[in-house]
Amino acid sequence: MSTPELPSPGPLSSGDLLGESTPLGLSPDGPAVLDPSSGAASTPPPPPSQAWLQVFLTTATTVFLAELGDKTQLAALLLSAQSGRPAVVFVGASLALICSSLVGVLLGRWLSRLMAPEQLERAAGVIMVVLGLWLGRQAVLHLAALHLQTGPVLG
Amino acid sequence: MLALLTSTFVTVFLAELGDKTQLAIVSLSGTSNRPGAVFAGSAFALVLASLLGAAAGGSLSSIIAPEALQLAASVGFLILGARLILRSNGDQDPPTEAVASGSDTPSP
Repeated sequence: MSTPELPSPGPLSSGDLLGESTPLGLSPDGPAVLDPSSGAASTPPPPPSQAWLQVFLTTATTVFLAELGDKTQLAALLLSAQSGRPAVVFVGASLALICSSLVGVLLGRWLSRLMAPEQLERAAGVIMVVLGLWLGRQAVLHLAALHLQTGPVLG
Repeated sequence: MLALLTSTFVTVFLAELGDKTQLAIVSLSGTSNRPGAVFAGSAFALVLASLLGAAAGGSLSSIIAPEALQLAASVGFLILGARLILRSNGDQDPPTEAVASGSDTPSP
């Protein structure tokens, strides 16, 4: 990985909006209020190792690579081709994607209150590895299908 | 126009729920202590990807093979997952020392 290591918190992390006020703090109607009693005792002390920019870059790279050429784009392309108003389609798709990523972040925060950190890390790691294997298998299968198309048809 | 906006929103939002991207976001957000950075990074990447898709149209797949992107993403997932599993193994050592005086299974 070529993400820059930032040992000290950057200038953003002291007063930026996103880093200090988490989405959970802004939404008292979320699932976070379900367990204030159990969460109070086991709040993990935040290790200062993760710099904001590093997390941002890691997330952005992973999500961007995973999302490019995916079915969301296909849906957006279909809509824009039919409607002839690509700007409206883009705004709608962007709002939906932002909302869905917000749902994902909130779900992750909620899970991190329910489960022990190392337990969650292991589960998340397994999920990531499975996703990686699945994506790689898809790509390889697709490549194989392309090769079969150019060659003689089987069966 | 509002109908088109709504239909796009609903279509994309439903297509995205439970997707592998959202699984990755859930994993990243649950295991990092910077949910703001995860949210900003994922939203930025998703919007950029859809902007590229809308602007380039079908010509994008002729420039970059989608299989290459998928392979790169799979390698990224594998690295992140392996790092998380390694970290969870490393994290387990200090807590077991703390409860070493009692039994192994915490029974409340």
